[in-house]
Amino acid sequence: MKHLPKHIRPRWRYLAVGIESTPDAEIDRGAFQRELWYAAGNLLGDPGSADTDLTVYSFAFEAGAGEAIIRVRRGETDRARAAVACVSAVDGEPVGVVVRGISGTVRACEERYLGDRTGDFEQRHVVFTEATRQAVSRDDAVEVSLPSGFVSATELDFE
Amino acid sequence: MTDYYEVVTAYPEGSSTVSRYAKTAAEYGYDGIVVRTREADYDQEAIAKTYDIDVVTGIEIAATNPDSISGSIGNFRADCTLLLVQGGTNASNRYAVEQDRVDVLTRPMAGDGDFNHVLARAATTHGVRIEFDFGPVLRETGGKRVQALRDLRKLRELVEYYGTPYVVSASPTSHLHLRAPRELVAVGEQIGFSADQIERGLAEWGRLAERNRQRADDSFVEPGVRRGRYDEQSPESKREDTK
Repeated sequence: MKHLPKHIRPRWRYLAVGIESTPDAEIDRGAFQRELWYAAGNLLGDPGSADTDLTVYSFAFEAGAGEAIIRVRRGETDRARAAVACVSAVDGEPVGVVVRGISGTVRACEERYLGDRTGDFEQRHVVFTEATRQAVSRDDAVEVSLPSGFVSATELDFE
Repeated sequence: MTDYYEVVTAYPEGSSTVSRYAKTAAEYGYDGIVVRTREADYDQEAIAKTYDIDVVTGIEIAATNPDSISGSIGNFRADCTLLLVQGGTNASNRYAVEQDRVDVLTRPMAGDGDFNHVLARAATTHGVRIEFDFGPVLRETGGKRVQALRDLRKLRELVEYYGTPYVVSASPTSHLHLRAPRELVAVGEQIGFSADQIERGLAEWGRLAERNRQRADDSFVEPGVRRGRYDEQSPESKREDTK
């Protein structure tokens, strides 16, 4: 269909969202989008969900960390923020999400809030609760593998 | 500018250590965290220095009958800055709000717990903060979430009417459960709170910690009696100034 004249096109805002999960989590765009719409539908209802739009525009997730750009309608950013906060798990993997900032264009959003690419994990052994454990680390974050699952620690815990 | 605090369940009860919470909370814009796990092992000063965040020692008492809560209050009051009592049964809720030595009654509506005008009034009299637990709102779905929302509304109405002091928390058990203050404000606004209420609830943790630290300070000889000189903030010197 012919695109709308400029003055009548919807205005958008772009949320820069940081995503964190367990080291072995695999999350793709589709799964994240689905959870986001579920969260919006459950919190805001169908009309609210439709109003906010909440389309995942770009998505990158690798080795337990990632980032996304979410498009929302201008004026609905508070509701969108609330919906994003209610995403607690994707495909059963717990996720931490944070809105790093909001911009009026995708480009500004990327340049200002995203792009600090995280490195890969480093395999190592650490002494935790008086036993040597397998662990993966990145920067000063360390994920220790225990029989019950991962425990998230930092370098400070091993000094 | 308000200082936002979050109260966290650390390893071994939760799945993240205190330092990891501190790292994430500092990134999210918090000014402090309150540790509610007694068994947690951490170096308060090193964490505060590395991540530039205030770490407050708290202890959460999770007993169901008043006798053992009473015993725990006596045992732990001196060991921590903030003393929390976990609610969730009518007996523990009732007992906690009537104790001056308790700082916060946490998750009063969880499980079989309920709250009413009598408890709200008692909490106001004894200065016990009531916790609004946002955990289920953020992490549950369906019926459980609806019940949690209903309970939060009931609690809010009582707290507003009786002017009961309160705190707000997302009650994380992992650093992945943490949400930034602005996110909590946004969620709160969607479920009927005002932005101001949430901000005050998050800041109240810090205010309480500050008050308790001051009280535990060595300059207090006994309650109400403090060693020191009259300084410029004292009423006498102020009166001099205005003359």
